[in-house]
Amino acid sequence: MRLSWIEIRDFRNYHEASLQVPPGLIVVIGPNAQGKTNLLEAMYYLCTLESPRVSSDLPLVRSVTFSPGGGGQPPASLSPGPSSAFLRGEAESSGGRALIEVEVRGGGQNRVQVNRSPVRRKRDLRRHVRAVFCGPDDLRIVQGEPDDRRRFIDECVRTLWPAKEGTASAYERALRQRNRLLKDWPGPAAPPGLEGWDAELVGHGAALTSVRAGAVAEIAGRASQEFQRLSGQTAEALGVEYRPSVEPAGTETLEAAFRRRLDERSADELIRRTTLVGPHRDDLGLRVQGLTARGFASHGEAWGAALSLRLALGRAVASELGEDPVVFLDDPFSALDPERRRRLAAGLGGRGQVLIAIPDESQLPEETATVWCVREGQVAAA
Amino acid sequence: MFEGPIQDLIDELSRLPGIGPKSAQRLAFYMVKAPAQDARRLAEAIVAAKEGVRFCRDCFSVSEGELCRICRDPGRDPEVICVVEESKDQAAVEKAGVIKGRYHVLGGAISPLEGIGPDDLRVQELLDRVGRNGVREVILATNPNLEGNATAMYVAALLKPLGVRVTRLASGLPVGGDLEYADEVTLGQALEGRREM
Ligand SMILES: [Zn+2]
Repeated sequence: MRLSWIEIRDFRNYHEASLQVPPGLIVVIGPNAQGKTNLLEAMYYLCTLESPRVSSDLPLVRSVTFSPGGGGQPPASLSPGPSSAFLRGEAESSGGRALIEVEVRGGGQNRVQVNRSPVRRKRDLRRHVRAVFCGPDDLRIVQGEPDDRRRFIDECVRTLWPAKEGTASAYERALRQRNRLLKDWPGPAAPPGLEGWDAELVGHGAALTSVRAGAVAEIAGRASQEFQRLSGQTAEALGVEYRPSVEPAGTETLEAAFRRRLDERSADELIRRTTLVGPHRDDLGLRVQGLTARGFASHGEAWGAALSLRLALGRAVASELGEDPVVFLDDPFSALDPERRRRLAAGLGGRGQVLIAIPDESQLPEETATVWCVREGQVAAA
Repeated sequence: MFEGPIQDLIDELSRLPGIGPKSAQRLAFYMVKAPAQDARRLAEAIVAAKEGVRFCRDCFSVSEGELCRICRDPGRDPEVICVVEESKDQAAVEKAGVIKGRYHVLGGAISPLEGIGPDDLRVQELLDRVGRNGVREVILATNPNLEGNATAMYVAALLKPLGVRVTRLASGLPVGGDLEYADEVTLGQALEGRREM
């Protein structure tokens, strides 16, 4: 699948831009802070209705502009910025073409249409297009907290299987309800009605655990392969392993294991007044050369691991759908040594439509089909 | 922001459920442009509803008199009680035409995040009714979402020691949805296929 064109208005530093998007490897070149990441972000947002960088939509709308006065011009003034950003474009897949139109309203609910019909849920858009984004923030998957890794796993889940998107949010709500009940109940014993929330926590928690296990199983082997290809040595493996908070013993079901663990920790829970067992305590184990990546990997290795995880997600989606998702790589080369840089560049062909943003031409991969130059929110074909 | 009474009206309207600031503004301007008698009729209907509405002494559904139409009806089986969260859910269940018994409106569902606990609902009143009237079966038709399920479980645990049969809607309703949005056929099937709790 691919994007065939995009129109951008009032998004980040883009006033207006209109681009035909060819297939294959597209390289976006521009100095820092000129808008090449913003361009990738706009395209990813059109595909997923999510920014890979921020959780609020407010920063996506082009902000108030300051126009300096002088030279016979009117005095310096603050002109009110636009209240919405607009993205339009077309996605092509084996299922056909989809015209996607998004009004990103800084506050408030976005307006989204696919083929002129309103779309309410993000997962309805995923029927038409899927995308994977990898940028410098992804170092957090390797070097950050378990929370960062859980967020990555859940992103894998909803990119692979859009219909499972609600699993994480249902668990999240059951968890918040149960935690509030534990926190607010003044008595020393268990609060009344806790059993009801236990049942919801266990039901949705077991569903989330198994869907996360499934997603990691899709990613793990592929990430290891990507990492080996990048390092050029079969000995340098990346170990990827799901570490769930709840694991069944023997023939026990996941639900039974969850209940057992809750029972074991119930006294502790009443002292600490919070839920101590469940997928909100899951982690993703990452090991390079058998050592925990978080502490031991060099900057280059950590970036290589993050990149491998993202590329693996792209491969897993391709295997699930029978066609490649659109892949975005923001500044993939900077943290790599020249050898890894060369190997990554050589391996970017044959992955469908891939857009990469790099600071200068010295890193241009051989497979490059198209080059765009970005300067001050303007895009020009080179 | 507008001046004076029109802004007051917008503010009042935007406090209503499901009405955002834009809709409130549109409604307010519609109302001030409408003929005076229309505005008066609307205002009077709101006041009359507020002053005239009562809740049934037995089941706590909205009612015109002391007892609602269903509790007054001798043809309805007093030994079966269908428990719902709100009066609007009772209306939805009633439309499905499966329940030959009576209802009990809890007044919501347990939700710690919204500060709603068992004491904020008419749970004790339900237990009193069941103990008093020789009830045979209680059908828990709270919404098929987190809060509705947790509430059903809580109520069921209190009912079972009273020796009454406790059942819950069968699955098959849209998960996470509200009863009021389920179609009659699906809701009817969920009621017919209810299971022991
Ligand atoms: Zn009644």
